[in-house]
Amino acid sequence: MIRLDAVSKTFPGSTAPAVDRLSFDVPEGEIVILIGPSGCGKTTTLKMINRLVEPTAGTIEVAGKDITSLEAHQLRRGIGYVIQQVGLFPHKTIADNIAVVPRLLGWDASRISARVDELVELVELEPGMGNRYPSELSGGQRQRVGVARALAADPPVLLMDEPFGAVDPIVRARLQDELLRLQAQVRKTIVFVTHDIDEAVKLGDRIALLNVGGILEQYDPPAAVLRDPASEFVADFLGTDRGLKRLSLLPISGVELLPGPVVPPSATANEARLVMAEHGLDWFMVGRDGQISGWLSEEDLAGSSSPAELEVRPLRTTLSPTSSLRDGLDAVVSSRSRVATVFDGDSYLGILTIDQISQEVLR
Amino acid sequence: MILAQSASDPLIRWDWVWDHTDDIATATWEHLRLTAVAVALGFVISMVLAMIGLRWPKTYPPITWAAGVMYTIPSLALFAMLVPVTGLTFLTAEIGLVSYTLLILIRNITAGINSVPPDIREAALGMGYTKRRMFWEIEIPLATPAIIAGLRIATVTTVGLVTVTALITLGGLGSFIDSGLRRFFNTEIIVGVVLSVALAVVLDLAIVLVERWLTPWSRHRATVGN
Repeated sequence: MIRLDAVSKTFPGSTAPAVDRLSFDVPEGEIVILIGPSGCGKTTTLKMINRLVEPTAGTIEVAGKDITSLEAHQLRRGIGYVIQQVGLFPHKTIADNIAVVPRLLGWDASRISARVDELVELVELEPGMGNRYPSELSGGQRQRVGVARALAADPPVLLMDEPFGAVDPIVRARLQDELLRLQAQVRKTIVFVTHDIDEAVKLGDRIALLNVGGILEQYDPPAAVLRDPASEFVADFLGTDRGLKRLSLLPISGVELLPGPVVPPSATANEARLVMAEHGLDWFMVGRDGQISGWLSEEDLAGSSSPAELEVRPLRTTLSPTSSLRDGLDAVVSSRSRVATVFDGDSYLGILTIDQISQEVLR
Repeated sequence: MILAQSASDPLIRWDWVWDHTDDIATATWEHLRLTAVAVALGFVISMVLAMIGLRWPKTYPPITWAAGVMYTIPSLALFAMLVPVTGLTFLTAEIGLVSYTLLILIRNITAGINSVPPDIREAALGMGYTKRRMFWEIEIPLATPAIIAGLRIATVTTVGLVTVTALITLGGLGSFIDSGLRRFFNTEIIVGVVLSVALAVVLDLAIVLVERWLTPWSRHRATVGN
C-alpha cells in the first residue's frame, strides 16, 4: 500500500543524511510502527509520505502511485494525519474540526454533517460535543477528535506522529485500546511513529526499527523483533526485559498445559495424597471431566477418608486461554505454590507453571 | 488647555449648545467619516503590506521602516507639506490620517500571524490546506485578537488626529476647538474635546464588541478533566 524505495533526505545545511536510502513496504490494512532513538529520522520518514518533507532521493508510492504525481495538497487530502500536539484548530468547533477535510474536498453540507455524527460515535465522543471548542476538551478527548478528523474523508492511509505522546499513561493505554478496536473496524494502512517500545509492541503488526541517520536495522512483526533482534543495536534498544515484552504478545493457548492435581470427589484421602505427592504440591483440585468444584489443602484432608466429605474452597484467580503469558507469569509468581489454573469459561484446561512459560520464551 | 479667563463667561453655555445641535451633529458625522475612511483604508493597505512582508520576509524591515518614518512626521508638518500639492481636500486629510495607522496595523497583523502555533500550521498543511486557504481560514482568524488590538489603537489615535484636520478646513469636531481657541469661547472648546473623547471611547467599545462577535471561541473556556 505504501512503498518506500531508497528514500533519502539530507536537510539543507547538513552533511549527514537524516534518512539514508530507506526502503520498506507497508502492506494494506496493517499498522507499521516507526521507532528508534532521537535523530533516527522516524518523523522525517513519516512526513515524507505526505510530502511535508520532500525527499532528496528515492521514490515513495501510495496505492501504486508515485506521490509526486499529485499536487501536495491533493495528496494530503487523501491521507489522514494525526500529530502529537493534535493541532486542532482552536477557532473551529469540534464538528468543524472533524469536517475540515470533507470541506476541503467540497462535500455538500448534509453529507458532511452525517459523516461528522458518524465519526463522533466511532471515536466514542459524547454526541453533544460537536458544538464545543477544543479548549473545552480534555487531552484524551482532543486526541480522539484528532483521530476522527484524520478519518473524516475515509482515507485508506493514516499517518500518526506520536499521537499519544502528550497524554498521561492511563489515558494513553485507553487510546491505544481504542485505536486497536477502531482498526479492527476500519482496517486502514497506518504508519505510526513512537519512541515507546511497549506501544510499538502493543499496536504494531510490524515494527521498523531505525538507527540514527535513518538506517533501517530491522523490519519484522513485534514477536520476531523481540525473539531475534537483528543486531546488537536492536537488542539494546529493546532493553533487557525483551523476554517479558514478548510474553505480552504470546497467548496462553499457545502452550501445552499440565493436567494438574485433579482428584475425583469419589477418591479416597490416600489417593488424593498420592496425587499431591506426584505433583510436589500440598493442595489439589476436586472434580472430573473438566468440571472443577474447588480445591483442598493437605491439612483439610486430616481426619477424613474422602474429599467428598469436605467442603471445597473456591478457586480465586484463574486465567483464560486468551490471557497473555505475561498475565500468566504474573499469576504464577503471585501464587504461593507457583501454579496458575487455566479455564476456558467453566471448563478446566490445566495448570501453568514457570517452566512452561520459560520454555515458550526460549522456543 | 487654555480656557478663556473672563469671569462673566461660564464654563459651558448650554444655550449655545442647543442653538448649534445641527452643526454639532454635522461635525461629529464628519469626524466619524474621516476616522472610518482612514482606518478602513489604512487596514486594507496594511493588510497588503503585511502579506508582502510575510510572503517575502526580506521586505518586512523596509516596509516597517517606511511606515515608521511616516509615523514620526508631525501631523501639522505633514499637512503643511501636502496642502501645496493636494490642496485643502479630503484627500489631503486622508493621506495624513492613513499614513499614521500603517505602522501599528502592519506590526499587529504580522505579529498576529506569526503567533499562530507551528503545530496548527503543520496540522493544516498536513490536512491538505493550500497556503492561501490556510492564510484566510486559519491564520487570519487566529490572528484576529492581535489585529483587533491594532485596530483599536489605530482608531483611537485617528480620532485624536482628526481634530487636527480642522486646521485644513475639513470640519470635524476639531473645528469647534479651533474656533473656540480663536474666540476665547470655552463652550466650543469643551464641546469639541468632550465629543471627540466620547467618539474615541464609543468606537473603541464598538470594536471590542465586533471582536467578541468574531471570536466566539475565546469566550468558551472551561477546564475539563480527562
